[in-house]
Amino acid sequence: MASFSRSWKHVLLIFVLTIYTAYTAGPLFWVALMSLRTTTEIAHNPYALPETLHLWKFSEAWVNSNYSVYFANSVKVVLSAVAIITLVGGMAAHCFARYRFPLRKVLYFTIFSTIIFPPQITIIALFQILVEYGLYNSLVGLMLSYVAFQLPITVYILESFFARIPADLYDAARMDGYSEWQIFWKVSMPVALPALSTTIILNTILLWNEFLYAVVLITDESKRTLPLGIQKFMGDQLEDIGMISTGLMIAIIPVVIIYVFFSERLIQGMTAGAIK
Amino acid sequence: MAFVTLDGITKVYENSREPAVKDISFEVRDGEFMVLLGPSGCGKSTVLRMIAGLETISGGDLRIDGERMNSVPAKDRDIAMVFQSYALYPHMKVRDNLAFGLRRRGISRSDINRRIEQVAESLGLTPYLDRKPHALSGGQRQRVAVGRAIVRDPKVFLFDEPLSNLDASLRVSTRNELVNLHNRLGATTIYVTHDQVEAMTMGTRICIINDGKLVQIGPPMEVYRKPVNTFVAGFLGSPPMNLIEAELKSGADGAFKLDIGTQCIELPEAWISYLQGKSGKIIFGIRPEDIFLSGQDMKRGANAAVTMTVTAVEALGAETIIIFELEGVDTKVFVKADRYTRANIGDTMPLSIDMGVARLFDPVTTKVISNNTQLSG
Amino acid sequence: MNKQKDLSQPLGAIVTFLVPALTIYVAFTAYPVVRTIYNSFHEVLPGHPNEFLGLQNYVTLYNDKYFWGSVKNTLTWALTAPFFEQFFAILLALALYARIPGARFFRIVWFTPVLMSFVVVGIIWMWIFNYDWGALNVILRAIGLENLAMSWLGDPSIALPALILVTTWMWTGFNMVVLLAALHSLPSEVLEASELDNCNWPKKLWFVIIPMIRPTILNLIVLSFVGKMKIFDLVWIMTKGGPLWSTETVSTYVYKRAFEWNSFDLGYPCSIASVWFVIVLAGVLLLTFIFRQRDKLEY
Ligand SMILES: Nc1ncnc2c1ncn2[C@@H]1O[C@H](COP(=O)(O)OP(=O)(O)OP(=O)(O)O)[C@@H](O)[C@H]1O
Ligand SMILES: [Mg+2]
Repeated sequence: MASFSRSWKHVLLIFVLTIYTAYTAGPLFWVALMSLRTTTEIAHNPYALPETLHLWKFSEAWVNSNYSVYFANSVKVVLSAVAIITLVGGMAAHCFARYRFPLRKVLYFTIFSTIIFPPQITIIALFQILVEYGLYNSLVGLMLSYVAFQLPITVYILESFFARIPADLYDAARMDGYSEWQIFWKVSMPVALPALSTTIILNTILLWNEFLYAVVLITDESKRTLPLGIQKFMGDQLEDIGMISTGLMIAIIPVVIIYVFFSERLIQGMTAGAIK
Repeated sequence: MAFVTLDGITKVYENSREPAVKDISFEVRDGEFMVLLGPSGCGKSTVLRMIAGLETISGGDLRIDGERMNSVPAKDRDIAMVFQSYALYPHMKVRDNLAFGLRRRGISRSDINRRIEQVAESLGLTPYLDRKPHALSGGQRQRVAVGRAIVRDPKVFLFDEPLSNLDASLRVSTRNELVNLHNRLGATTIYVTHDQVEAMTMGTRICIINDGKLVQIGPPMEVYRKPVNTFVAGFLGSPPMNLIEAELKSGADGAFKLDIGTQCIELPEAWISYLQGKSGKIIFGIRPEDIFLSGQDMKRGANAAVTMTVTAVEALGAETIIIFELEGVDTKVFVKADRYTRANIGDTMPLSIDMGVARLFDPVTTKVISNNTQLSG
Repeated sequence: MNKQKDLSQPLGAIVTFLVPALTIYVAFTAYPVVRTIYNSFHEVLPGHPNEFLGLQNYVTLYNDKYFWGSVKNTLTWALTAPFFEQFFAILLALALYARIPGARFFRIVWFTPVLMSFVVVGIIWMWIFNYDWGALNVILRAIGLENLAMSWLGDPSIALPALILVTTWMWTGFNMVVLLAALHSLPSEVLEASELDNCNWPKKLWFVIIPMIRPTILNLIVLSFVGKMKIFDLVWIMTKGGPLWSTETVSTYVYKRAFEWNSFDLGYPCSIASVWFVIVLAGVLLLTFIFRQRDKLEY
């Protein structure tokens, strides 16, 4: 009797969890299906499976709806921003973790506290400043803003990792004849590889998805990033559900591919800031 | 090769007012194995790190081969150091750990490889060259750390408690390996430890440091037999030297007597010259192995008889430690007796003290008074 | 006097390591913050010199009912969503902690929404909420609850809850993963011991499990609170603050006043941003303080 009620509970639990899974994954699955169907088909029945896989829609979006441009812009901005954040943030984190110098605590706390700033406090002035420097409506301006935006969390995560590297390791490298800069490159960074990959993943995903800075700082169609491109496309073609879905999938697919291969790392990276 | 001279070396850390190292001077001769010994926090590592160039020298001069090194950066001092934590680069294979220090020094690739092979061979590391440190045992890591120092063929080796992370049996064998290594290479070595067995067995000379100050320096047996103050006496040996408070009295005939609790012993005539004009409270120091139960081995002539009561017996197998109480004295007296000794708690028995090796200390300055020269090693 | 340079503080290296980060920080974070605050006391029109207004922007702000409406909406969001997220996240984390078959799969799937851009999520949910063919209404009609079907984003009293549902959908999995990690880091004896104690589940949850992962929960609540206080993208995509200002958040209102309305003045939105900045900081400090106090009282 007892085992019966137990297994019955178990089945119920799995049932509930399956429903919840359908609820989280369903919407994404639905878009994936619609991305392969035409708007006419969707209008006929939004929830049917694709009868024929209209893969041409992807090339259509890619070529005719400018998604190739958006995609390339996103890749350019995100990759260069992440590279710069990793380098600059790594240097600063290394410095905070390794050296004792005047104002160290003040500087660290100042940068750290920026994590909770609402972006509005900078974005209007940032807009003005970029206009003045001729960086408004340019990918470089957007990229630099992204670097500044993600720098604090990166420094925070890396600093706590660097601080755990034993000081003896640095001393050994110094005795081995390496300069501070070489020690940073040959000891700190390689040893911190797990933490670096965490921040790289976190920054890549967050910036790939970023919208507010893009919508404020970019106006040219040719400079739009993917989220901005999709939003504008939807604004123009509100009824074209099929093509919008295809556009969404173009933004989703890279993330999903990374996720399939590095799910644990990705989860770790995304939650890094939440776990103390 | 090389000799290292410390001349009034002082270190004041930036965030503290008290100096961590105060006015230390000594010389490490060419090929010598110098052990720095002292309790935790006394400043041993600080001294070593100043020699290495990892820490600035706040005062005094450091010279290697007579050349002032105070402002020479670590990498140009031609010194290698083995760290307590080994400090192996976790992301590099053993081979690269060994090579890392050579790559900066303009040595050809084939030379580097040859040296690595050679050192790995001599330390039995050849099978592990392509592993990373996390895949090695503690003992193997320790050997890589040593190898990393040897491969550079430096003028001076520095070791900072290199054995303290090893388990007891491995520590003994590694100790012997390091001594053999030193004998083979003949390199000037400075070795920090707080383990007195290591100090006694490894060092050509021991340098005892307490509270940032140099207390005594000399060959191990000399430091052991002739401690210059109560600190050294109480630090070396296990159990350490008994330090018994006593009262010094000069007798009518010019001889000296020592009141220990309710008992009184005569001091040897040879001491009279040191004790002239002294009297009152004094500390009587005697090593546990220099007090004998009646009938047990005693080699020396001058001795004094006392009666004590057994309060505890620790049979250690190879020997037996008997802890006595002396009437009228607070401190317990430790005696090393041979392993066949039978004693029961509460027994009162006569013992004799080898006065030839006893020491007297001033209770105020803690310094030794009887600078007994007739001691033999 | 030969002053030695300190070996543990090679000043040149320290400066080299810090300068890039500090430059970026000053140029793109610190300076904009200062400038925003400066702007908030001025009228900032393109092509005109800034005109000093003193506190006038703040007075206007005080009387701006749209601003206060957006504050109310944002606070509603920031003070409810974190708790919904935590509630479901704890239940789900416990389910996975109880060694359900396929736990790894569930965990990976539930985490997916947070990897998506707000733009993607917003568009999908706009469709789900669509009156005619949206999934929500389709399901309601299918199970006979036809009268519950409604225009979710078109009704001013429903739109905000609908958006809150979307953020909960998005972030529950994230919170669940963090909580699950916290559960797994607990000593396993504790949970097993309470198993033997035979106390019922809700009790065990409340008296044993939650107190133990409490720091993680509080941390997540603060994080979620900050996230909701900043929220912009989702609203901008789904409702643009409508209908009838019912989903206007402070962020969208700032954006509108700065870049959408034809007033062209950047001073006023800057004063909103400045006030909001202070409120967010105060909120975080307050939450941390409250949580700290309670911790002190309990232990
Ligand atoms: N970086 C530092 N800043 C300030 N004080 C320090 C620093 N490093 C060490 N000290 C202090 O200097 C004193 C000597 O430290 P040191 O590390 O040399 O001791 P040690 O003899 O090596 O001890 P142990 O056997 O525990 O390693 C200690 O009181 C310590 O607190
Ligand atoms: Mg030390």
